[in-house]
Amino acid sequence: MSETSIWIMIICVSAASLLPRILPVALFSRYEFPSLLKRWLSYVAPAVLGGLTALSILAPDGAINISIHNRFIWVFIPTLLVAIKTKSLFWTLAVGIIIMALLYNFL
Amino acid sequence: MQRYELKQGMLDAIPIILGYLPLGFAFGVLANEVGMSIIQATMMSVLCFTGAGQYIAIGIMQAGGAVFTIVVANLLVNLRYLLFSTSLVPYLQGRVPTAISSLLSYGLTDETYAVAMNRYQEHPPTTSYMAALNLSSHIGWISSTLLGAVLGSFIGNTDSLGLDFALPAMYICLLVFMVKRKSDLFVALSSALFCLVIGYLFPSTMNNLFNIILATIIAASLGVLISERD
Repeated sequence: MSETSIWIMIICVSAASLLPRILPVALFSRYEFPSLLKRWLSYVAPAVLGGLTALSILAPDGAINISIHNRFIWVFIPTLLVAIKTKSLFWTLAVGIIIMALLYNFL
Repeated sequence: MQRYELKQGMLDAIPIILGYLPLGFAFGVLANEVGMSIIQATMMSVLCFTGAGQYIAIGIMQAGGAVFTIVVANLLVNLRYLLFSTSLVPYLQGRVPTAISSLLSYGLTDETYAVAMNRYQEHPPTTSYMAALNLSSHIGWISSTLLGAVLGSFIGNTDSLGLDFALPAMYICLLVFMVKRKSDLFVALSSALFCLVIGYLFPSTMNNLFNIILATIIAASLGVLISERD
């Protein structure tokens, strides 16, 4: 890809990635949503996080991998317990990262 | 008050930045490998704040694909932000001026969304918090890209540091924070299941992340249905 095409690509990708983020906030802020829609929207965050968590653990390399060889599943269990127990992002991250590093280097 | 909100936003961005470090770094390295200069790689992270989209761009470039393909793939991958952004509107209304919240939505990502939504459950949004959270995260993304593009050739495998688990660990923790009602847990679990089933049946959705959009729409609708019964 030439120097110019790369710049054109960057600018177009910028537009493609920014518009879906900015437009709803810019356009809908004037309106009061009906309560049913508000309730529906209140479930978007748990749903998104459920999906992201499942994919990041069960398909860490982009393809679904549910097997005992998937290290992410093993690290998921203690990490979830720490998250529930401590309710601390710091400890959850620390434990998850350290166990992952140990598994990677010693198994 | 404003200063407190600013500081809180920056503190809340730290785990996000930790998670971005290996991802941005790897992006910088790969971008360099497919022929982007250090400036181009870094500017891509300045102008686009879309991890998945940027990785896809690299993949398509490597395969010799066209700019058009990259842009279409990015439109698909970023569609989910229509949903995220819309779901933030009821919180931001009347608290952050529309012009400012629109501009700051530039920094909306899976991670900043999750952290912000978690905070807004108990604290009303402020311009300072939103700016600090989104901009700090973005600066983290840009700096790690720059580091990767500059140092890439010197550093080998970052997997051994366990950092590839930073973002999954963050998702897990935010998920635990987010689940307040029984119906939240139901929605999260069913969304996870739908996401995997859709990804399994239609593997292409694993790349454009359409499975997340579909699973979210189905699971949120189920949530409304079951909460009506309560």
